[in-house]
Amino acid sequence: MADLTKDEVRSLGKAAGLDLQEPHLTEVTYNINALRELLDDLNPPGLDEVEPLPIIHPYHQIGQ
Amino acid sequence: MNSAAIPFLTAAALGRLIQRQDISPVEAVEAYLERIYRVDRKLNSYITVCRDHALAAARQAEQEIAAGEIRSPLHGVPVAVKDQFNTAGILTTGGSKVLATNVPTHDATVISNLKNAGAILMGKLNMSEFATGNSVYHHWGTPRNPWDRTRNPGTSSSGSGAATAAFLCATSLGEDTGGSIRNPANNCGLVGLRPTWGLVSRYGMLGASWSNDIGGPISRTAEDCALTLQAIAGPDPNDLYTTQTPTPDYQAELNGDIKGLRIGVVKEGLYADFVQPQVRDTVSKAIGTLESLGASVDEVSIPLLPYTAAINRIHIEVEAAPSHWEWLATQPQNYDHNVRTDFLTGCVVPGQLYYKALKLRELIRAQVFEALDKVDVLALPNTSEPAPLINNKPGIFSQEEARARMSGRRSLTGSFNLASVPALAVHCGFVSAEGSPKLPTALQLAGRPFSDGMLLRVAHHFQEATPWHIQRPPI
Repeated sequence: MADLTKDEVRSLGKAAGLDLQEPHLTEVTYNINALRELLDDLNPPGLDEVEPLPIIHPYHQIGQ
Repeated sequence: MNSAAIPFLTAAALGRLIQRQDISPVEAVEAYLERIYRVDRKLNSYITVCRDHALAAARQAEQEIAAGEIRSPLHGVPVAVKDQFNTAGILTTGGSKVLATNVPTHDATVISNLKNAGAILMGKLNMSEFATGNSVYHHWGTPRNPWDRTRNPGTSSSGSGAATAAFLCATSLGEDTGGSIRNPANNCGLVGLRPTWGLVSRYGMLGASWSNDIGGPISRTAEDCALTLQAIAGPDPNDLYTTQTPTPDYQAELNGDIKGLRIGVVKEGLYADFVQPQVRDTVSKAIGTLESLGASVDEVSIPLLPYTAAINRIHIEVEAAPSHWEWLATQPQNYDHNVRTDFLTGCVVPGQLYYKALKLRELIRAQVFEALDKVDVLALPNTSEPAPLINNKPGIFSQEEARARMSGRRSLTGSFNLASVPALAVHCGFVSAEGSPKLPTALQLAGRPFSDGMLLRVAHHFQEATPWHIQRPPI
């Protein structure tokens, strides 16, 4: 997957109501691309089948 | 007893002497105030010292104890809390200039609970801005490590680690989103417990990541941790995620046996290539000590552990960002440079990335529980290296650097946040770094949900068998 450009990240910011300026634009671009890179590489067995369950784990005894 | 010696007592010992009226709470508070004013200018561990509040509360405790009304083992004992917990009438900053004048009208539940237990609030402790891990600028002064003041005391509950290690409070509260209780305990030579998520109320706590945040104790001993946890744990109608299960007697749980306890060494933690050999050796010896006390030791696997930092980071940034949206737009200059970058990142993380992180979280949780099906306690290093030098250089200068910040050492603690299980760091020896011959490091233990008492018991037995917790930093 190709890295996002600064212009693309600036557009993401605009969509979120934020006007990203330097030097933060460059650093946010580094961060987003690093996160995309790290997660792109991460495809363990079972990922396609698993559902993102609620935060509360099954052992939790809420309301008991 | 010479009043200068009072701060060096454990919270449990001080509480016992106070109950016997051998030491008055006023005497204890005055002894701590004197030490704070003499020592803390070197450490910047406190943002606010509540002198008048503390003395008034101590006088009240003195009267109650004289009348035989003992509230808890912490009655009359001076404690301090991370400046992330709201305190009625007392400045609460989150370590940020953004909240430089914020004085809440209500106490966080953990603060009310500490007061109900009779503990005396000495003050509010310094922290990384809004409990993030990357801040460089500290509006209230840079917190420093008592073992080496050029080094970081651990983020984000930095002041809680520094103040407790330097005997500037008897016990303290921190908050842990990705390791923020355990890392200061590691760097400062203490015991820090991230409780089971849901055991301690989050009401009145400035949030970092709602699904990972939880307050917990940072203390010099496991027994002090147990007393502090006892005071703050329990159901709270203001936090619907708190458990309704009755709170166990954590002090009593310390005395159980650890013979036959099954310890699982997490191989992706202990043998990770990013863990320094001296840390690995020290932690291995600590695990050997537990084995010599009667525990059995096997290896277990959490294959996703080395990748936890990135997954944790997405959760934290996405969940934290909405709280800062308005401030980022109206007073961006009041944020630390790195914190501003992190929160801006959280504002623009693409939805599909967050969705994948949620699914990965579920897989990590399954792997942690699968490991805990085979053993009672997981064991691994808490950090990969000794306390780093204090970072004075803000900014991210390459994508590789950004990637490194989301990998490696930060993966050792985050799995247990994502799995919502309890995890504890206990000082287990010393390692060295350039210019610093003696820096603490910690063994990390994790267990099943609500096994907090068992983790404290293991740490207590470890401390009974080893000398690390009685060593004092050169401050």
